Amino acid sequence: MADSLDDRKARVRVLQAEFEAALRAAVDASGLQSVRDRFLGRRSGAVTALLKSLGSLADEARREAGRELNQLKDELEARLEATRASIESRVGRDRLARQSLDVTLPGRRPARGRRHPLVATREALEDIFVAMGYEVYDGPEVEDDFHCFEALNMPPEHPARDMQDTFYVEGRSDLLLRTHTSSGQIRYMLENPHPPEVRIICPGKVYRRDNDITHSPMFQQIEGLVVGPGISLGDLKGTIEAFLHRLFGPQYPVRFRASYFPYTEPSVEADLACIVCEGKGCRVCKQTGWIEILGSGMVDPAVFEAINKRLGRVVYDPEQVTGFAFGLGIDRVAMIRHGIDDIRLFYGGDLRFLEQFR
Amino acid sequence: MKLLLSWLKEHVDFTVDADELAAALTEVGLAVDGIERREADAILDIDVTTNRVDCMNVRGVAREVSVICGVPLKPLETALVETGSPASEALKVTIEAPELCPRFCARVLDVRMAPSPPWLRERLEAVGVRPISNVVDLTNYVMLELGQPSHAFDLERVPGAELRVRWASEGEKLTTLDGVERTLTGRVGVVASPSQALALAGIMGGASSEVGDDTRLVALEAAYWDPLATRRSARSLGMHTEASHRFERGADPEGPVAATARLGHLLHKLGAGSVRPGLIDVHPAPRPRTSAPLRSSRARLVLGVEVPDARTYAILSGLGFGVGSQSVEVPSWRGDVTREIDLIEEVGRHFGVNRVPSTVPPSRRPGVLRPAQLAERRMRDVLVGAGLAEVVGYSFVSRLLDGNVGVRLANPLAEDQAVLRSSLVQPGLFEALQGNLSHGRRDVAIFELGRVFAPRPGLPHEQPRLALLLAGGARARHWSQTPRPYDFFDARGLLELVAAALGWEELTFRSDVSLPSFLHPGRAAEVQHRGAAIGWLGAVHPEFAQASELRDETLVAELGLDGLIEEAPKAERFQPLPRQPGISRDVSVLCERGMLARDIESWVREAAGPLLCEVVASDRYEGPPIPEGKLSLTLTLRYQDPERTLVSEEVQASVSDVVAALRARGAQIRGE
Repeated sequence: MADSLDDRKARVRVLQAEFEAALRAAVDASGLQSVRDRFLGRRSGAVTALLKSLGSLADEARREAGRELNQLKDELEARLEATRASIESRVGRDRLARQSLDVTLPGRRPARGRRHPLVATREALEDIFVAMGYEVYDGPEVEDDFHCFEALNMPPEHPARDMQDTFYVEGRSDLLLRTHTSSGQIRYMLENPHPPEVRIICPGKVYRRDNDITHSPMFQQIEGLVVGPGISLGDLKGTIEAFLHRLFGPQYPVRFRASYFPYTEPSVEADLACIVCEGKGCRVCKQTGWIEILGSGMVDPAVFEAINKRLGRVVYDPEQVTGFAFGLGIDRVAMIRHGIDDIRLFYGGDLRFLEQFR
Repeated sequence: MKLLLSWLKEHVDFTVDADELAAALTEVGLAVDGIERREADAILDIDVTTNRVDCMNVRGVAREVSVICGVPLKPLETALVETGSPASEALKVTIEAPELCPRFCARVLDVRMAPSPPWLRERLEAVGVRPISNVVDLTNYVMLELGQPSHAFDLERVPGAELRVRWASEGEKLTTLDGVERTLTGRVGVVASPSQALALAGIMGGASSEVGDDTRLVALEAAYWDPLATRRSARSLGMHTEASHRFERGADPEGPVAATARLGHLLHKLGAGSVRPGLIDVHPAPRPRTSAPLRSSRARLVLGVEVPDARTYAILSGLGFGVGSQSVEVPSWRGDVTREIDLIEEVGRHFGVNRVPSTVPPSRRPGVLRPAQLAERRMRDVLVGAGLAEVVGYSFVSRLLDGNVGVRLANPLAEDQAVLRSSLVQPGLFEALQGNLSHGRRDVAIFELGRVFAPRPGLPHEQPRLALLLAGGARARHWSQTPRPYDFFDARGLLELVAAALGWEELTFRSDVSLPSFLHPGRAAEVQHRGAAIGWLGAVHPEFAQASELRDETLVAELGLDGLIEEAPKAERFQPLPRQPGISRDVSVLCERGMLARDIESWVREAAGPLLCEVVASDRYEGPPIPEGKLSLTLTLRYQDPERTLVSEEVQASVSDVVAALRARGAQIRGE
């Protein structure tokens, strides 16, 4: 076979065109293999055949043609490799596409329970006071008259007892359900007759004969008591401001006003600027701009004297130590915090209510 | 208490407006709950604390305002024109019970009964008092103005023209002004004629001597009634009146003198009558004026601020106190002030609580939660993390279902709140479930941490408990999975989880004991810790479920926590990590259905030797092709030695021992 140079070049062009067409037709790895076999196969490949046909040429021309054909072979190899890579990545993409999910379907959430909102509020309050160096004390819910009233400067038939309509235990006229956690003050001081340092809160359930949307016969309070040399009304104010600011945020002013509790003197109540209307006046604050938040005062010397009398010796000498006490309703704080308008929801176990809280 | 500003202005010249006045009164302890505006006037609604009976009237509030504004209190007009024969000729007063009545003042008035003039009627109506007649209205007016209740007797209807103060005799009858016939006891004080009781002392007048249109002669009574006696008297009759409210809290012993003079003055001014000469003033037990010391150092210590002496003087003298160099004399109307601390409060509230600089006392000790409180928080974390919602139930129930009397209330609000609970589950958590079911919620997983109560000498026993209830689907409904109902092992698993998280020893569960009757006898167990019963768990009895209309299997559990949470658990001890992986082998046995997993496990442990580190029941099957009455149980045995790699021969030897032991106990080994 004595092909002319032009003739061979034409054949190469045809072969290249055929190769490209075959490559386009190959969609997967096996298609690609047939293309390789057809053009570059060791036995029957078209380029191999061309190379074999060079034997008839003169040395110079054969070297020249061989170089060209080897270059062609390399080009085709490169084209095959590129196509293989693109097919592989397309196949990979197709496989992933088949594995795709509807990501808009809801996720499988592990079950999540809820702390009761009153407990969450109580724990938040406890944490604030623990950070301020308070011990968390716990007293009984069924109390005797001494701890609940008498030691708190409310002797029998004291008019202030009217404010706290009390549940009594049948057949045990000395026993009652505590009407306030202030009884915890008394228990703690009697159990810890070693002043001068007392710094406790006493959270817990309390009971009063009252039942409407703002009063529940059972509710929860936190009592606080700080006793030591030199404790003053200024300390009371600073402490209450600090914890209200921690709980509700420092942007809400706190105001104090004189009040009356039998076991504190001077007695003061603390109001917080209404967190709903920010002090402008709304239904929650009864248009006053202020929300009553807690009662407090300096421990009345009569309380220390009652403790000393019970202990049979002077441990809390009112001339040596002073103190302040405060009490707030956890239910009320939780209602203000969350905008809850019916206290009875706390005690119903209704999951529609409970699941609204984080 | 409603207070008319124009009336207040007659007693003190203040210049601030109603809002400023309200704010200032609130700060000193007379909380103004509302302001009702009228044309050129306003009514303040003041919440007067129980200790400040002296402020339950216009004059008392005016005194506070005079100190707030720094203006003097205007003198009270009480000038009298006395005419006729001496009062003492027309009326005799005897106090037979001085402990009831330390002071009784009376005046005799000639009256012309008529309606009050419009200004008087309007004032009374503005503060919520119904006008009746000039004489009655004047007694109310003076009470509202000065705080001293008084009573007008039609003297011509007082037999013997004598008023006697005494205790009622047992069973004595008296018809009061409200038309109610009352049967009295010896604890009730009365004002009586020599023949009969005429009025309830300090509480309410009687019908027989009531003033009417035809009244011409009046015996005006203004007394100081003993607070405790009045309180007992009113309580025993179930009464509470404007008068008793004031006397119970301690009225002013000097009040009767001023009040009768003021009333006589106004009677004359109204042209409604005249006053006979002489005040009848029976005063068997005059109370000495009290005084108390006041050290400025003490005031500074308690208040945390230095109040200048001049300010202290201005406050106390403005409030009527006599400030001496050694002590402070207390005015008669301030029975609430007896001690230095009471004086310090007076100074503090008028100096201004909000002007006291705020300080935070330094803490000398770290704050702490008690171990029990920490343990309860941890239980909460575990159960909330496991998907349960916390509930808080009332401590009251209608009755105890365990047959005990329990701790009963003497005065419950309702019969269904008469006893303190002895269980959290029954009825508390069941009621919470019912409530949720009733509004269409079926999947319920809840727990409670709270106390139950049992009587004992002294205070009742208050036991902390943990209870939980599971009903409905154990997994949230999801498109990817089929629902699964809760069963016994969900409840047991939660208790095991709590025990593990709190560092308790492993709990054990026994069904061969007596359990609450609302539990399914085959699906319930006593829970034991260190061999002692601490509670129970189980599925509810089918009959109970049916009676309670529970459609789904419902699981409940309740544990007593005392003895388990008081001590802080010891820190966990680290175990060196094993150097080599362990080897696991499964053993499947076919055994009688009544054979307990716990027994099989313990036989395995006994036989396996020290290399066995864990045995887990990993599969359980009953039904075809397993013969009736038998079950197949697969145990996975894990072997490990912390120091070296185990060789399969020694594991195989142990498994052979286990197999032999199980065979000896009557179990067949499957797959052999």
